[in-house]
Amino acid sequence: MFRQVKRKTTGRRNFEESVSGDIQQKLEGLYQHRLSFYDIPPLQEITLEDFETWSIDRLKLLIEIESCVARSKSLKDIEASIRPLLLKYLPMNSSGDACLRERMKDHYSHFILRLVFCRSEDLRKKFIKNEGILFRIRYNLLQPKEQQEFIESNSDKLVWKFITNEEKLDKFDQLYNASGLLIKNTLMNDNPGIEFTNEQIKTHIKTKENFIKLPFEKVANLVSSRSIYLYQGYAYIPSSLQLNLIATEFQDSLNTMLLRTFQTLPRLEEDDRILPLLNNLSSNFSNIQYDNFNNIDPSLVSDINHQSIQTPTIIQHYPLCSKILQQNLSLNSHLKYAGRQQLGLFLKGIGLNVDEALKFWSIQFTKKISMEKFNKDYKYNIRHNYGLEGARINYKPWDCATILSKPKPGKGEFHGCPYRDLSVDNLITNLNELGIEDQHQINEIIDDVGKRDYTIACTRVFEITHAKQLNQQQQKVAEGMHINHPNLYFDRSRQLERSLEKKEASV
Amino acid sequence: MTQDLEEPQGQAIQNTYESQTQPQGQKWKPSSADMQHYYERLLPFRYVFQWLSHSPKPTKDFTMREFAYEHRSGAYQRYNSFESQEEFKKSVVNANPTRFEIGAVYTVNPKERRNLPKNALKPISKELVFDIDLTDYDDIRTCCQGTDICMKCWKFIRVGSKIIESALRDDFGFKHLVWVFSGRRGAHCWISDSRARNLDELTRKAIVEYMDVLSSIRGNNKFMKKIKKPYHPHVERSFNYLKQEFIDIILEDQEPWLTSSTTPKDAKAWTQIEELLSFIPEKSLQIELRNKWINQNSLSTSKTKWEDINEVAKRVLKTQIQVLQLNEAKKDIIIYYMYPRLDVEVSRQMIHLLKSPFCIHPGTGNVCVPFDPSKNISNNSEDDEYGFNPTTAPNLKLIQSELEEWDRKPKNSNENENEKRLADYEKTSLKPYIDYFAKFVNELIKEELSGKRSREDDSLEF
Repeated sequence: MFRQVKRKTTGRRNFEESVSGDIQQKLEGLYQHRLSFYDIPPLQEITLEDFETWSIDRLKLLIEIESCVARSKSLKDIEASIRPLLLKYLPMNSSGDACLRERMKDHYSHFILRLVFCRSEDLRKKFIKNEGILFRIRYNLLQPKEQQEFIESNSDKLVWKFITNEEKLDKFDQLYNASGLLIKNTLMNDNPGIEFTNEQIKTHIKTKENFIKLPFEKVANLVSSRSIYLYQGYAYIPSSLQLNLIATEFQDSLNTMLLRTFQTLPRLEEDDRILPLLNNLSSNFSNIQYDNFNNIDPSLVSDINHQSIQTPTIIQHYPLCSKILQQNLSLNSHLKYAGRQQLGLFLKGIGLNVDEALKFWSIQFTKKISMEKFNKDYKYNIRHNYGLEGARINYKPWDCATILSKPKPGKGEFHGCPYRDLSVDNLITNLNELGIEDQHQINEIIDDVGKRDYTIACTRVFEITHAKQLNQQQQKVAEGMHINHPNLYFDRSRQLERSLEKKEASV
Repeated sequence: MTQDLEEPQGQAIQNTYESQTQPQGQKWKPSSADMQHYYERLLPFRYVFQWLSHSPKPTKDFTMREFAYEHRSGAYQRYNSFESQEEFKKSVVNANPTRFEIGAVYTVNPKERRNLPKNALKPISKELVFDIDLTDYDDIRTCCQGTDICMKCWKFIRVGSKIIESALRDDFGFKHLVWVFSGRRGAHCWISDSRARNLDELTRKAIVEYMDVLSSIRGNNKFMKKIKKPYHPHVERSFNYLKQEFIDIILEDQEPWLTSSTTPKDAKAWTQIEELLSFIPEKSLQIELRNKWINQNSLSTSKTKWEDINEVAKRVLKTQIQVLQLNEAKKDIIIYYMYPRLDVEVSRQMIHLLKSPFCIHPGTGNVCVPFDPSKNISNNSEDDEYGFNPTTAPNLKLIQSELEEWDRKPKNSNENENEKRLADYEKTSLKPYIDYFAKFVNELIKEELSGKRSREDDSLEF
C-alpha cells in the first residue's frame, strides 16, 4: 500500500520555470513550420494548467469542426467559421515573440488529445477526421512559399515522384482527357469569376501543370470518379491536388500513431494527475457527441421507470420528436414500427431498463390488444433492442442524423424529426405548446427549417425554452454546442434542472 | 450406346457433343454419386490448392482461408478451413457438397473461430474478383432470357471480359488474372496478384466504380443520360473496341429495335426504342424519329433505325454543335448497349464467397472451367473463330462418357504402360482447361516465390 503511493510520486519533478537557451534553440528547430505532421512527441515539461487549458482550447476547435461536418458544410464554409476560432484558440503567427509558445501549444495540445481520443475506434475516427480538416484549413492558410517548404521538409514521407516533361507530353492526350475537368475546376476555384476554355486548359497543362505519379491505392477516391489517368498501376495526378495527398498521408500516419498510443496507454494511466483530466476531456467530447449512453450513471436514472416517464416531470425534458411520439402513443395505444424503434431506443438512452420498458409498452398497448398478442408480436422486438435476442447487439439510441436518414413518416406514423416532417402550421402549434409564442423567435425557427438546418432549429428551441435556467446559470451556451441527438437534449435539460436545484438547496 | 460403340471413335464423341448441345430446356443434373466420382477422380485439387496457397506447400494463405459448402440438402456451411491439399480433398470428398466456394484469408484459422473472441476473425486478403452475369442483360437480350444462354448472348460476356481485362492489365498493372465460366450464364474473373489480394474494401470499391461506366446512364435518371466528355482513357479504349462489335452483336444478332406493323405497343422492342430515343439530345429529332418509326408499315430492322438517325438528323439538325452532340450521344448508345454490367458487391466485399473454379454447376452439370477470353483453348477447331463456347464447354456427363469410352477402347500393351501414368482428367476434354489453369498457377507461384525472396533480401539490408 505504502509502496504504491511512493512509486506514484517518485520521479515526479516540479516544473522548472525557466527555459534554458539550449532548449530554446531546440524548440526553434522543432517548430520550423506553421504546420506539422506531429512526428516527434513533445519532451519538455509544461504546467498542469497549460496541459489543461491548451487541450481544452484545441478541443473547442475540433468540436466546432465536428459540428460543421454534422451540418454537412463544405470545406470552404468550415474554413470560414473556423478561422476566427483559430485565431482565438490556436493562433499561429509566422513570427513574433509569442510564436514559439503558440507552436508549443499546438504541438502539446495535439498530443494530449491523442491520449484522449485513442481509446476507441469511434473516437479515433472522429479525431482523425477533424484533425485532418484542421490540417487542410491550416495548409490553405499558409503562403505558397511556406507550403513548398513544408512539403520539402517532409519529402521523406511524401514518397511521390513528379513525372518528367517528356512523359507529360507523351501522355498528354490521356492526361487531358482524364483530368482536364479536375484541373479546370481547381483553376476556377483559384480564380473565381474567370471562365477557362478547353484550349486554355490544354496550354495550362502543357506549360504549367506538373503531374505526380504514385500507386493508385493512395488515391482511391480519384480512381472511383475516373478523374485521373491510370497506367500500369500508377495514378497520374495533377500537382494542384497535392493537398489531398498530404492530408491523406497525415490522416494515415495519425491513425497508426493513435493505435500505438492506445497500446501504451495503460502505462500512462498510473499518473493520478493526468488521468482525471483526460477522462474529463473525453467525456466533454462525448457529451457533445452523445455516445456516453453506455455508462449511464445509475444515481441519475433512479427516477426513470415505466410510471415516471409518463409524468410531465420527465416528459418536459423530451425533445419535440420524442414528445410527439409519446403523445401519439398515449392517444392511440399503438405506434408503428419505426416510431416504436425511435421512442424505444430513446427511452433506453434515458435509462429505462428492459423490465421497465416491457411494462411501459405492455401497459400502453394492452389498452387495445390482449397481453397474449403483445407478447407474441412486440415483446421480442423490445428485448431485441436491449440486445437480449437475435444477434444480441446492444443498440444505441438514434441520433439526429440517423433519424433524418430514415424514410419520412407516412400516414399514421409519428417517427422522424418534427422540424422536417411537420407542416409549418402544425409545427407552430407545437412550438406554442412548448411556450414559444414570440413571433420573432418563431420566425427564426421557421427560417432554420427552411434552410434544412433541423438540428439548429431544435437547438434554438432548447435555448429558448431553457433561457431562464441558462441565464440563472449565467452559463452561455457553449460555442458550437448544438443538439445532434435527442438524448443529448434530454440530458442537458435534466442537467440544467439538477444544477439549479442544487443551487437553490445550497441557498 | 451399343450402336455408338460400333461406330468409329470420332463419330461417337461427336454424338455425345450433340446430345450436350441440345435445347436448353431439358438439362441434366448431376447426382450425388456423379459428384462423388468427380471429386475423387477428376477435380484438380492440386492446382486449386497451389493457386490459393501461392506456393507448392501449404502457407497461411491457404490454411487460414475460408471455404464454404453448399450441401445437397440446401444447407450452407461456412468457415471450413484446411491444413493441406490432402485434407482439403478428403473433406470435399467426404462432405460431397453440390459445390464449394472460396472466401477470404483471415487473421486466424476460420474453423477455430468458435474458440476465439468474436473480433479475432478478420479478413485480411482475398483475390480481387469480378462477376458478369447475363441476367443483368435481360432488358437488352432478345435471344434468351433468365437462365438461358446461347452463342449470341455469350458475346456480351466476351466483349465484357476483354474490356475488364485490358483495364486490369493496362491501367492497374495486374498480371495474374484468370477467367472462369460460372457454369451457366456468366463468368468470374479472379485477380491473384499480391497487390490485388491485399487491397482494402475502399480501394476495391474504387476499382469497381472506375469500371462501372454505366452507373451514370443506367437507371431512372432520364435527364442526364450522358457519359462524361471527353471520355476518360479507359472509356475511350472500351469504346474503340465496342464500336467494332456493335454492328455484329447489337444490330445483327440482338436486333433490339426490330418492329413491324404487327408489333404490339407494349412489346419490348418499343421500350428499347424509347431507351434509344432518350439518348438523343435534340427534342425535335426525338419526335421526328418516333413518328417515323411508329408510322412505318413494313418491317424495320435495328440497322435501318440506326441509319435513320443520321438520315433524319440531316433534315432536322441545324447547327454544327447539334451534330457534334448527336455523334457523342451515338457513342454513348454504343457503350450503353455493350459495356459490361458488373455485380458491384462481389468485387467490393472481401468476405464475399465465390464458387471455386472446376466446381460443377449443380443446375447444368457444366464444369466451371477457366477460359482464355482472347482465344479458344478447347482443341475443338470449330470454336476457334468464336472463342470460348459455353454451349460446348465440358459437362460432367460428357466427361463421364469420355472416361467410359477410354476404358472400353481396345489398347495394345505398349499404350497401356503410358496410360497408367495418365491422370483421369487427361483422358477427357477437361485436359486443355486444366493445363491452362496449371500454367496460370505456375506463373503466379514463380512470381510469388521470387517476390518473397527479394523481400527477404531487402530485409537483410536493415
